[in-house]
Amino acid sequence: MLHRKTDKVAYLYILPITLLSLVFIYYCIGFTLYSSFTDWNGMSPEMNFVGWANYVKLFHDKTFFTAVKNNLIFFAGTVFVQALVGFVLAVILKEKLPGTNLFKTIYFMPIAMATSVITGIFRILLNPTTGDINQFFRAIGWNALAKSWLGDPKLSLFSVICVNIFQWMGFSMIIYYAALMALPEDVYESAKLEGAGFWRTMVSLTFPMVRNTTDLLIILGIVGSLKTFDIVKLLTNGGPGRSSTVLNTYLYEKAFTNFAAGEAATIGICILIIAMLMSVAQIKLGESRR
Amino acid sequence: MKTTLLHKILCYVALILFALIWIAPVATAFDKSMAINGWKNYQYILTYQKINYFQVVGNSMIVAVSSAVIVGLITTLGGYAFSKLHFHGQKAIYLMILACLAVPVASVTMPLFVTIKAFHLIDTHLGLIIPLVAFNAPMMLMMIKNYFDGIPNELLESAQIDGASSFCAYRNIMLPLSGPILANVLVLTFIYTWNDYLIPLLVVRTDPKYTVTLAAQYFMSTVFQSPTDVARIYAAMLLLSTPSIIIYLFSQKYLQTGITAGAIKG
Repeated sequence: MLHRKTDKVAYLYILPITLLSLVFIYYCIGFTLYSSFTDWNGMSPEMNFVGWANYVKLFHDKTFFTAVKNNLIFFAGTVFVQALVGFVLAVILKEKLPGTNLFKTIYFMPIAMATSVITGIFRILLNPTTGDINQFFRAIGWNALAKSWLGDPKLSLFSVICVNIFQWMGFSMIIYYAALMALPEDVYESAKLEGAGFWRTMVSLTFPMVRNTTDLLIILGIVGSLKTFDIVKLLTNGGPGRSSTVLNTYLYEKAFTNFAAGEAATIGICILIIAMLMSVAQIKLGESRR
Repeated sequence: MKTTLLHKILCYVALILFALIWIAPVATAFDKSMAINGWKNYQYILTYQKINYFQVVGNSMIVAVSSAVIVGLITTLGGYAFSKLHFHGQKAIYLMILACLAVPVASVTMPLFVTIKAFHLIDTHLGLIIPLVAFNAPMMLMMIKNYFDGIPNELLESAQIDGASSFCAYRNIMLPLSGPILANVLVLTFIYTWNDYLIPLLVVRTDPKYTVTLAAQYFMSTVFQSPTDVARIYAAMLLLSTPSIIIYLFSQKYLQTGITAGAIKG
């Protein structure tokens, strides 16, 4: 530490960010916790204490468990494919062939586009009759693949996951890429001397060495899945039926459509508990790295 | 090496294959937006009465730039204090803020809405900026603090001997040295807030305050039947994403390193 004595002025420097966290995050978390024990409708100031009733109701709610299941599928599908594609592309990009920066720019670009814009484009692309994806399948004679991507309960979540992968794959890629660039070169030199080929090096040398990065991407995948809202809301609005409902869209529906803010808060608490645990996991993982 | 040429070809094949998948949606959107009436579709969106394109982009620009600047200011100040100064509760307060890293806005929507309303900020730019700053700042603080931890204390100690106040040290030493990480924070916050949908959904009530994300939702939800409608919606989506794509193209290095710095170090 620079100073032995306490710097009183330091409190002034941390005041803005601390105040914002307290007022807009911690207060809202406290409010959520409190209202989860009430029959609050979200509009009126009237809040009656109802004990654990909302939680009991939640744990008997089939839709809640459908949402949990969908969040898990969303997480697993997204993380697995994103990590796999991101890793392979990062390994190829690391070869630093001429022109690879252009490819990096392309893969990463959807992150700079708003989810609402991307879903707007995909809503039309995925339209069962006029959509370009089905028109493409029909044109090449694969009529069986021309499905109702967003309208079929068996496919809706799958389609949402695909669009999400489209938007965020660049994220996994760039993080793997950074991890690869930090790896020591001499390990590769000796692998080369022993005659290990590109694929062999990738599978048995590179992949184990970026294990920490994979762990990190899993944690961030859980966080991302918990934050998932706009892509589902705008693509399918959780439907058809409950086939693509996730925790956040269900919470939003309860709070703003059914005026059951108390019940919505119980879902919020479930999300917050996992989210806080993931923050801790991310911080711990970062510390073990140094 | 004998495999070199084949290896290079395989690498390019993979790169091009994935690039085609990643370009196809946007390329199709552009192609279809021009298929009927050509640029007239773009003109139609640009002169659309209910949702004024330039106002929408202006709103998003005001919100994203202000959020980025405020986040940059409060996280460098905070990061400096947490990294280089000494005070009671330092670690506890830092961890308290960092614990908010993963808190999804969606999990506290109703209380957040009520809080914003209590401050009379519904349908104002400030009502968007303040919550966006609050929810984006923890991650940026972590990035800045990690970066500051890497700046040697000796640099500041020599300033202290010269009798500089801690604010002078912040302004004259820390800020000039934080150039690269500050650029990451500014670009990352800009993109994240520009693309945010939930907070505008809660706060914005009237058309003149629409952000880019709400305008995209508006155009998307208009009934589309004819190919002309489709062309116009595609044109709208492309126009609405143009500003952030341009900013991305000029600042992609910072966005990419920013995302890495925000994720990798704890």
